[in-house]
Amino acid sequence: MKFTPKQLQKNVNVSTTHPLVELLWMVGGLTFIIGLVFILLGITTDWAIAKTPVRIETWIGKLALKEFTTNNNPPLQQRLQELLEHLPADSPLHQYQFQVYLAASEEVNAIALPGGNIVVFSGLLQEVESENELAMVLAHELGHFAHRDHLRGLGRGLGITVATAMLFGESSSTSGLVSSALLSFNNRYSQRQEAAADRFGLDLLTKRYGHAGGATDFFARHNADAGAKTAYILASHPHPQARITALEQQITAKQYKNETTEALRDDVKLEDKE
Amino acid sequence: MEILLENLNLVIFLLLFIIGYTFGSLAEKRHYRSIIQREAELLKLAVVTAEGSFPAGQVKESALVSGSAVISIDYFKRILATLRNIFGGRVKSYESLVDRARREAILRMKEQAHKQGAKMVINMRLETATIGRNANQKKQIGSIEAIAYGTAIVMNK
Repeated sequence: MKFTPKQLQKNVNVSTTHPLVELLWMVGGLTFIIGLVFILLGITTDWAIAKTPVRIETWIGKLALKEFTTNNNPPLQQRLQELLEHLPADSPLHQYQFQVYLAASEEVNAIALPGGNIVVFSGLLQEVESENELAMVLAHELGHFAHRDHLRGLGRGLGITVATAMLFGESSSTSGLVSSALLSFNNRYSQRQEAAADRFGLDLLTKRYGHAGGATDFFARHNADAGAKTAYILASHPHPQARITALEQQITAKQYKNETTEALRDDVKLEDKE
Repeated sequence: MEILLENLNLVIFLLLFIIGYTFGSLAEKRHYRSIIQREAELLKLAVVTAEGSFPAGQVKESALVSGSAVISIDYFKRILATLRNIFGGRVKSYESLVDRARREAILRMKEQAHKQGAKMVINMRLETATIGRNANQKKQIGSIEAIAYGTAIVMNK
């Protein structure tokens, strides 16, 4: 047999797919799967929340409260009790033992924690100017409890963290990126919840005082230094102007009266205004 | 600037990713050019895996010749393979590495045989080994080594 040397032209051992095309497919697929996981997580947490008894929630709440250095605040507690007395008799909120805490922080915010715990930051208390505004803030937080938003955020955040840790390992840079991207998604979801809590808050405020005065004051003051609207797409709360507009629409629709507000009583005023 | 510093991990990742892709594909293209050219040069030197038997007096000399090559993965290929670990399927990004290592090893073996004046290499065998077992783990070196060896035959004129 004669040996005829021949150089092969095609290489069957190496795939011809361009590596960047391959990368695109896989990254795209991964994004799709993670999106699917996120949606499923949302559905399952929603389902699980409806079945979580308040007893378990209280237990989670104790864990969550450890994150903050807080003091029980009797004057705030009294304001909350006054609001609670105006809840309808069949409200699910009667199952909770509400506690208001004051936390020393510059942040202008209040948080609804599981188990009926409300944490008000001192930064917020410094900005509040009337009794009605304070009642609106507390009623807004009660709205979160009524819709059980505080648990939803918790469950989804946990689910995202677990899912990304499973995919990419606990401390990899990829998992950090993915979870932060998804958490901003989560924030957007939460804007809708904030709007719903606003509506609940307004109704309760009107029941408490007989009029809706002061409901938008706090946001109106905030609107001035809120900045551009675009930044609020990824923020946890809607833009103040959007909240004011929504509240005013509701006030008109339900024909709530708008009367003068009560000045803030001295007992909740912070002693050192530093 | 602050955003860059805050996400330093991510910036380093992207930088390594881009470096890995550019230099990895550059090196691969150059290597393939060199492989194809050298293969053409040594085309006449036959390499067979058969044992081969020769009539008495025809073989002047026979010797063991071997060649080996180690090829490293790059950062881009590693990421591609990591993603493959999730989905399954052919790890296409590693295929070219194995191919290059094998062909380079055979070429080096042929070059050694050529220097000794051999007309052919018989009984050629190929073996591969991985240096750095956990190629997909962080801070581990992932590379492939291929060894080709055979019997070089120098004929009587």
